[in-house]
Amino acid sequence: MTRITGGLIDRGTSLSFTFDGKTYSGHPGDTLASALLANGVRLMGRSFKYHRPRGVFAAGSEEPNAMVELREGARREPNTRATVAELYEGLVAKSQNRVGPLSCDVLAVNDVLSPFFAAGFYYKTFMWPRAFWEKLYEPVIRRAAGLGQLSMQADPDDYDSGFLHCDLLVIGGGAAGLAAALTAGRAGARVLLADEDFRLGGRLLSERDPLGGIPAVDWIAGLEAELDSLPNVRILRRTTVFGAYDHGIYGAVERVADHLKTPGAQVRQSLWRITAKRTVLAAGATERHIPFADNDRPGIMLAGAMRSYANRWAVTPQAHAADPVAIFTNNDDGHRTALDLMAQDVPVLGVIDTRSDAPKLGDYTLFPDATVTGSKGRLGLTQIQITRAGQSTWVDCAALGVSGGWNPNVHLTSHHRGRLVWDAATQSFLPGPGGPEGMHVAGAAAGRGQTGLALADGAKAAVAALAQIGMSASLPELPAPEATADILTLYWHVPSKKRAWVDFQNDVTVKDIALAHQENMRPVEHLKRWTTLGMATDQGKTANVTALAVMAELSGKSIPETGTTIFRPPYTGVAISTLGGGDSGDSFRPRRLTPTHSWAAARGAVFTEVGAWMRAQYYPQTGETHWRQTVDREAKAVRAGVGLCDVTTLGKIDVQGADATTFLNRVYANMMGTLKVGRVRYGLMLREDGFLYDDGTCARLAEDHYVVTTTTGNAGLVYRNLEFARQCMWPELDVHLISTTDAWAQLAVAGPNARSLLSRIVDDFDLSNDAFPFMACSTLTICNGLRARLFRISFSGELAYELAVPARYGNAVMQRLAEQGADLGVTPYGIEALSVLRIEKGHAAGAELNGQTTADMIGLGMMVSRKKDSIGAVMSRRDGLAQDSRRMVGLQPVEPTHTVTPGAHLFAQGDPQDMAHDQGWITSACYSPHVGSSIGLGFLLQGDNRMGEIVIAANPLAGETTQLRIVPSHFVDPEGERLRA
Amino acid sequence: MPDLTPLTALGHDQPQSVTYGNLTMGDCPDLALASLTLRRDAPVPLPFGLDLPGPGGYVASAEVAAIWTGPRQWMIEAKAKGCTDFAAQVKAQAPDAIVTEQTDGWAAFDITSPDGAAIGRLLEKLVNIDPGTVSPGTASRTSLHHMNVLLVRPDPCCLRIWVGRSFAGSLWHAVIGAAARQAA
Repeated sequence: MTRITGGLIDRGTSLSFTFDGKTYSGHPGDTLASALLANGVRLMGRSFKYHRPRGVFAAGSEEPNAMVELREGARREPNTRATVAELYEGLVAKSQNRVGPLSCDVLAVNDVLSPFFAAGFYYKTFMWPRAFWEKLYEPVIRRAAGLGQLSMQADPDDYDSGFLHCDLLVIGGGAAGLAAALTAGRAGARVLLADEDFRLGGRLLSERDPLGGIPAVDWIAGLEAELDSLPNVRILRRTTVFGAYDHGIYGAVERVADHLKTPGAQVRQSLWRITAKRTVLAAGATERHIPFADNDRPGIMLAGAMRSYANRWAVTPQAHAADPVAIFTNNDDGHRTALDLMAQDVPVLGVIDTRSDAPKLGDYTLFPDATVTGSKGRLGLTQIQITRAGQSTWVDCAALGVSGGWNPNVHLTSHHRGRLVWDAATQSFLPGPGGPEGMHVAGAAAGRGQTGLALADGAKAAVAALAQIGMSASLPELPAPEATADILTLYWHVPSKKRAWVDFQNDVTVKDIALAHQENMRPVEHLKRWTTLGMATDQGKTANVTALAVMAELSGKSIPETGTTIFRPPYTGVAISTLGGGDSGDSFRPRRLTPTHSWAAARGAVFTEVGAWMRAQYYPQTGETHWRQTVDREAKAVRAGVGLCDVTTLGKIDVQGADATTFLNRVYANMMGTLKVGRVRYGLMLREDGFLYDDGTCARLAEDHYVVTTTTGNAGLVYRNLEFARQCMWPELDVHLISTTDAWAQLAVAGPNARSLLSRIVDDFDLSNDAFPFMACSTLTICNGLRARLFRISFSGELAYELAVPARYGNAVMQRLAEQGADLGVTPYGIEALSVLRIEKGHAAGAELNGQTTADMIGLGMMVSRKKDSIGAVMSRRDGLAQDSRRMVGLQPVEPTHTVTPGAHLFAQGDPQDMAHDQGWITSACYSPHVGSSIGLGFLLQGDNRMGEIVIAANPLAGETTQLRIVPSHFVDPEGERLRA
Repeated sequence: MPDLTPLTALGHDQPQSVTYGNLTMGDCPDLALASLTLRRDAPVPLPFGLDLPGPGGYVASAEVAAIWTGPRQWMIEAKAKGCTDFAAQVKAQAPDAIVTEQTDGWAAFDITSPDGAAIGRLLEKLVNIDPGTVSPGTASRTSLHHMNVLLVRPDPCCLRIWVGRSFAGSLWHAVIGAAARQAA
């Protein structure tokens, strides 16, 4: 045990947890990492490529090494950073990326073979035989190099999403963030303070310095109490703002229940979209390390993290309390760690400082102008090699803190492609121009990390941000601890012939960077991709700047000349479940139900998705073992008796106004102005480029009142286009549109007995052919006074009507029709039978109106009126379209048992089956119970002049060819006598 | 009266109601809705005596209310008229206007609570609108879980959501799910 005194943990409560099956104990306030260290566990995982033993390296979300599989069963989450996993009773964690025990990983052989695994070896090694890549190389490499493993079970937890709005979003709850929130909160601004930690304070929690004469933790508690008391301030703990998006919107994930064993009734995590008028980014800084030979052993960590563990979590990083600890630094901050450890009676071997003029700040041994040039210890650090003036000495050392300075956490400032600027004074990249609009950067994130500076900076940033939105704020009185002169001398890595790790998580070493340089992969973007630097789950937070500095050194360029890559969201990994916002399964997206859904479901309908709609596909009956049996029965029943089908999903648009007729003449290709009241006309709509995009009917209910119907799939598009035309193209027209798709349940009643059936429910309405002929429409009442609309239109080719009633009555009317039609052979039919019926009739549908076809091609070119102008009419007459000789035809197999396959392409007999000889394609096909064989529709070159000819349908995907006879597209009632009956 | 039994948008013959914590949600099939649009240059009418509101506005009398939906366009809402031809009644009030029946084009859901702040917290999980701006007398058209909705705030203790009728089930799932989580 290496638990020491102090710390922000609740020693009165013990929490039991397991790691790799062994039980340990920790306290509330611990992370998994601190609790493992407290139990003397330093070895926590294996590295990505070489399977090197790794221990904890940092104390926050930047952690590259201590990755575990957290929880069990379906809740197992790989690649969880032990440094941010809050300890709870019963926590279960396993080390990952190993074969066999963690201390004896079989794949550690990779380390021995490391000369073969240098950067870029994938690209060079696994090039042939090519066929081996997918089946052999990739699976083996993935198994060997992957990190944790998914549970392969459905996520059992709940997630949600939401929206927050504020005047000022403060990102980070450290010194600068707290000061900003306090300043803005007192000014009355609506403030959101988000911090990824479970406790506010940021770096203040890791230091021993008092604030305002009291312990920092007490000062934070007082400020937190004030913030909590302000109704205009909201604190989001355990919340990471992971991305800056357009228009002041930030993405954040709140870990609502990750600190609990199971979420219970709560969501596990919430996804927040935060709309902020202004933002203060106070995300702090991440310490950088100094690569040296074999610098990746458990026990070697960032000096600042070592201080955090000692001060916040009361643990030291060595396995035994009496073992010596050393610090390797190029700046004064490293010395602070030595002082804090000594204050806790931790044996400090000394401070190895690269600076020749390194100050001695306490009673410890100082090694100025010295470096650490090696380490030993198979599963944890036991010795380091100190080199000074060419003399090297091995000394016992159980833990080494390394400090190479601090990198401001500027990630969010470059999410809008803001360029970072190298600042010589702080020797770090600082936010440059082009950052997110309205974002102010403060504190350590702006290179002003000393406590006094950060506090003042946060307050000033809040004042400045609020001033931009017309709010005034006063600078609060804040503690002003004396700033110390922290002199840093740049020192990026200790030269060595051995491997010195730069990016721990992706196993990228200084030698790899040198190799990238040698291979001319010198731009930072190339360096990144060639070596995989910064591409692991930690996104190289502890590696990137060091790597480009090494590249700069190798290239003989300055760091600004070398540049840096762009940070992109997310700042830390976000679970896909969280991004989904909790919508999964049936509720993954909204579903639209038809008014007769209950009725259809009660009859055992099989439903299918048509866009957002759930439509009855077919209604199987007892004894039917294949969907084709059902569909054949339904189609035949419509042709022989009467069928019922819910067609509510077709778009309906109410068009009214003095200029409604003019408007419709302009949006339909065919003439609508001559349509009489009480009549319906089929209509075609063209895109601006002259291609067909939708068809439907237009019913004239009154002089200035029409109802336009659209296809189901294009209902939204047509409505949008019409609104665009109304508002933007012809605002002078007095015409008004509103969707009525949902308002009316529309039921197709089709078949020779349709009139008889309808006559049983209409109230005193003459349905005779004379009074209500084909393409008539009318308002009426049914079932003793229910207002309704009746349209005599037919998609099936039979005598047919579409009856519209207020949607709430759709179910009851469907039920009434089914009851009343029992003796007429009434049969509900789904959209499969609907499709069979329309193919038999030769009616074009979505497969034919696919955006690449013209009115001429479906044989309706004459409908594009030349007596008026309309959208797309002129363009439809351009050569490319007007001279297209492909025409819609019917297709029937020469051998009746053969199948017509939609998507197959058509070729003349004897022609090669290639693009040069392609003559068309099959758009729709089905088995026709009426014809007794498979039939299809398709487009064929000069198809209207080739009736009776035999062509070849080729389906190269299946290696099939079929002989098809070209026939008229009307397989049923070509004269249209049935629908006019 | 037709001898047919209507169904609510949720597929029941009676409205549903669910309570989680201090939030109660239910559908309102008795509410009727009709769109009212002014013809070019037509004067603004006073249907049922309502002073039609401006952008983002909602005005109500005891039985009837108006929701602004666009320039010179409103939805007129009425209590206890869901099964009547309400559009005809609106047309009678504004004979020169264009009126379209919308009662079954939409479905209304009321979220009520004695604590208006609880409604605000629920709104945070549903729509990208600052709850502080959804004050009594306001109406907004927005997106809720990818569905097009009209949000109306008749009073501090009630939020009304109008959604396309065919989406009612999905809306109900979203709203009661969020309310249940809020109460957890």
